[in-house]
Amino acid sequence: MLAVMAREFRLLPRRPALAGLVVVLPLVMLLVLGGIFRAGIATGMAVAVIDLDRSDLSRAVTRMLDAAPELTVTHRASDLSEARSLIVSGAVRGAVLMPPDLERDIIRGERPEIVTFYDNQHMSAGTMVARGARNAIDAALTGLRLSVRQSQGESPVQATVSLQPIPLQAHALFNPAFDYVHFLLAALIPTVLQIIAAAATAYAVSLDFGTGRHQRVLMRMAGGILPAMLGKVLPYTIIFLLILGLSDVALYGWLAVPLRGSLWLMASGAVLFVLASQMIGALAFILGRDMGRAASLIAIITAPAFGFMGLGFPREAMSPLAQAWGAAIPGTWYVQLRIDQSLRATPLDISAVSVLWLAVIAGVLAALVLTQLSRLSRLEAQA
Amino acid sequence: MSELSTAFRAELHAVLGDRQVRSIVLLALVIYALIYPLPYRAELLRDVPVVLVDQDRTTASAELARRVDASEAVALTHDAPDMVEATRLVHERRAFGVMLIPDGFERALLRGDQSPVALYADASYFLMYQRVMQGAAVPLRQLGAEIEAGRLIAHGTPRAVALAQVSPANQIEVPLFNPAAGYATYVLPAAFVLILQQTMMMGLALAATRRRPLPGHPVWRLLGRAAAWLTIWAGLLPLYLIVLPVLYGLPILGGPGTLTMLGLPFVLAAGFLAQLVAALFRRSEVVQVVLLATGLPFFFLSGFAWPVEAIPAHLNALAQLIPSTPAIDGLVRVTQMGATLPQIAPVLWHLWALAGGLGLIVLAVETRSAAQHTPTACEEPAASGNSSR
Repeated sequence: MLAVMAREFRLLPRRPALAGLVVVLPLVMLLVLGGIFRAGIATGMAVAVIDLDRSDLSRAVTRMLDAAPELTVTHRASDLSEARSLIVSGAVRGAVLMPPDLERDIIRGERPEIVTFYDNQHMSAGTMVARGARNAIDAALTGLRLSVRQSQGESPVQATVSLQPIPLQAHALFNPAFDYVHFLLAALIPTVLQIIAAAATAYAVSLDFGTGRHQRVLMRMAGGILPAMLGKVLPYTIIFLLILGLSDVALYGWLAVPLRGSLWLMASGAVLFVLASQMIGALAFILGRDMGRAASLIAIITAPAFGFMGLGFPREAMSPLAQAWGAAIPGTWYVQLRIDQSLRATPLDISAVSVLWLAVIAGVLAALVLTQLSRLSRLEAQA
Repeated sequence: MSELSTAFRAELHAVLGDRQVRSIVLLALVIYALIYPLPYRAELLRDVPVVLVDQDRTTASAELARRVDASEAVALTHDAPDMVEATRLVHERRAFGVMLIPDGFERALLRGDQSPVALYADASYFLMYQRVMQGAAVPLRQLGAEIEAGRLIAHGTPRAVALAQVSPANQIEVPLFNPAAGYATYVLPAAFVLILQQTMMMGLALAATRRRPLPGHPVWRLLGRAAAWLTIWAGLLPLYLIVLPVLYGLPILGGPGTLTMLGLPFVLAAGFLAQLVAALFRRSEVVQVVLLATGLPFFFLSGFAWPVEAIPAHLNALAQLIPSTPAIDGLVRVTQMGATLPQIAPVLWHLWALAGGLGLIVLAVETRSAAQHTPTACEEPAASGNSSR
């Protein structure tokens, strides 16, 4: 087995295509993904203001909107259809309408409406715009309410207290800094690595176990089909673990993502995850008997995997079928384990379930690969 | 002219005649159409489970709990005596938030003091956090406003004045396009464009790695191929952009004319890019893996799910070279938001510039390699034919 492993490492530099797939491609992807999310949060998203009042108050609201970190007031629209057109063309992401006589109606106690329109097709940006606008308008109105109470003789502190009888103390569990960036990154890297590990393993296996290849030489060299397979696969396990480790160093070191859980559990999860991903590739090749068909099989399983992990739309809200499909993919459990052990500091007994699942998936896939391989080599021996 | 039609027929045959290329281009449609949307079918997140830790156990705390439970976003599914037990439920992912009503909640309210309530929401999942916050904050704010108004009235302020003082203006939020905030409606139209591009590039790049040199001037050969792509994707594009969305019940506002105008340069740009990918990576295995691995990064680079305002400028500039970046923006605006051609003119120009620029580069590459390989033209296809097996 060690002989096969040594041979594999020796051959790698002489196979530029394979070396490119297992080393260069993941590193480039790492850089690109890290680059996309490095900036963190979106700031200065464009909004339009439809100010039909042109009063001190409407100008104050506009200033508040512009001062919100999420927003920049880039356009002034004269009516709704102009604002809508700006949103449709993408010039702005939302618009705030202040009706005529806004200030007068507020003073008269007629409770006029301030309307925020936002582009919810681009939901991630749209909700941020809506939230920014809501907070800015709230701040402007709170200022107004405070000044009313103070004019009635309340002290500023007293007035602030009476404005909010039930203040909400909001705590963000596990992620106090609200960092979804590192969070997304921590899931995207394994997703892309899962694709590459599966495909590269299929390709590496195809070089020795493909039709017309010297599979028997390899088996004689290792002394059996299991060591031959292990010797073939393990060198890439090591490479992918190194890449995963590098991304973790970047994530937890450079980007300072909190790491609160058990490193030991994370590491064993990582090994099982890489092995399981590789087994997907090996099995796809053995079932497809051809790199093209193997790539299609791998694509079906690994390409849509991100959606099933539940980082966007949560797993718990998916249909049972979607949950089951997601449960069969190693990345789902590995990403859950990472989130549990890095951010949530989940108790080990809960988190161990993810590792157990990874082990089951890797074990079942490996067993399938081996039975298929030995069946094929028996067939070949008979022929 | 005959060179053009030879190239046209050869490319049609290379895509539709090759079993593997055909399966990538056609089968992928069926599979991706079934698997990709699967996680998002539920569309909306309702009644997110939240743990109630009520340490006050009074009428006021029960009333607050009742109102939060009644909200659409959350449901108070568990009762826990303390935070330790509540946190455990969140760790097990059986609940995604904890509402803690402290002892003395009602007494403080009756005294006219501030009476805070604590909400712990699981922030490791963005959507869950948002829903838990929404589900608790709105009823809390309402109850707070009622209490504030009640106190003002008790002090002799007329009712109408009290209400106006508590909330001087009505804040109304109107979500445009995707008003129900459906997750499938949000993500699928963009995802379909990306899948279209990736499968198209995979198929065409694969065909390109297996192509034998044809006689004739490179310009005619390239135009012939481009005509073949347009012919094939004239059938496939509407499937991805109209039929699939209709099957999944997504709104379609844009007309077929506008779609065609955008689809034309998009197909050309993606086709030319596929030729470059094939020329760069040569082996079909590598081409497939590279295109598989770049799908997700391309999606996030497009500035759809991850706002373009948050992407570093240099990366964003680089992203503009990928056809999916303008195509996702333009096609989503047309199909989902009903944009007209003049409204998305910049996107249209962008796509045409990409198609023209990439086309010229492909032409330059092929002219050069044709000049290099003319003497050994017979050996080259045999070698590349073997390596792709």
